[in-house]
Amino acid sequence: MRKYTLPMLLLLFLLGPALSRAVPNPKLVMPEFQGLAQKASESVTITLDPTLLSLAGRFLDGNDPQDAATKEIIKGLRGIYVRSYTFDKDEAYAQSDIDAVRGQLSAPGWNRLVETHSRKTRANVDIYIMIDHDQAVGLALIASEPRQFTIVNIIGAIDLDKLHKLEGQFGVPKLDIDTSKTPAQGAHK
Amino acid sequence: MNQDIESEIRSALRPMAPSDEFSQQLLARVAAHPPARPRSNNRMPLRARHAWWVAAGLAASLVLTVGVERQLERQRSLQSGLEARREVLQALRVTSQKLNLAYEAVKSQSSSLADAEPAV
Repeated sequence: MRKYTLPMLLLLFLLGPALSRAVPNPKLVMPEFQGLAQKASESVTITLDPTLLSLAGRFLDGNDPQDAATKEIIKGLRGIYVRSYTFDKDEAYAQSDIDAVRGQLSAPGWNRLVETHSRKTRANVDIYIMIDHDQAVGLALIASEPRQFTIVNIIGAIDLDKLHKLEGQFGVPKLDIDTSKTPAQGAHK
Repeated sequence: MNQDIESEIRSALRPMAPSDEFSQQLLARVAAHPPARPRSNNRMPLRARHAWWVAAGLAASLVLTVGVERQLERQRSLQSGLEARREVLQALRVTSQKLNLAYEAVKSQSSSLADAEPAV
């Protein structure tokens, strides 16, 4: 047994980095944004790990349509992270705050699904999705508006159809994303 | 007749000085087995009663502490569950709003392209 130990360790040492590279990590490292939080008139910081998601699932009422839809969505999720800051004046945040997160989305595995810019509202929304074995395993959304800056990172098996349902549940019109297409096809990247 | 009986009884029950031998034996026995110190009738039962009350008090406090702790734990769990639920709903609401923002932008872009098409 002992004679196999050294070769096994060597093999692990050599394959370790390769294996860790092979598994995409959809979790973004959220900067502290402490300066932004102080400047913001309103801030939302949500960190939901698998334990909290499971706990929340137990408190969602299956008989309530909104709760039932939410329960269905979070079933396959492993984390939801939201940072949103609202300011009293325009351009209160620096572009570098967004870039700190956007830089992470150039990592392999992430595909830009939608990139929008509205002249009317001066809002930019970028939606990225991470695919692993034909399954969406992560979603990142960066929305920058003159007075608001939002980052959403959802980790886990995301079903876009269920997200569509969710949009309906919250009284928001459904997003016309053709889920039959792979994100790579729809990407602007 | 009656007087005879009475005098017999009187003589039989008359006080007599014990013999020296009897007195010595008695004194020797007394010396050999000193009488046990009389115990207070109330002392031990009182202690036992105190011990019982202390034990009962401790048991009651323990039961109360465990009960209160469980209740607090249940309340904490309920609060964190409700808080997690609120956060999930808020997170998904924020996500929805931003998806809607993207939708509106895509929609207005599509309509402006459609409007521009005839001119091309």
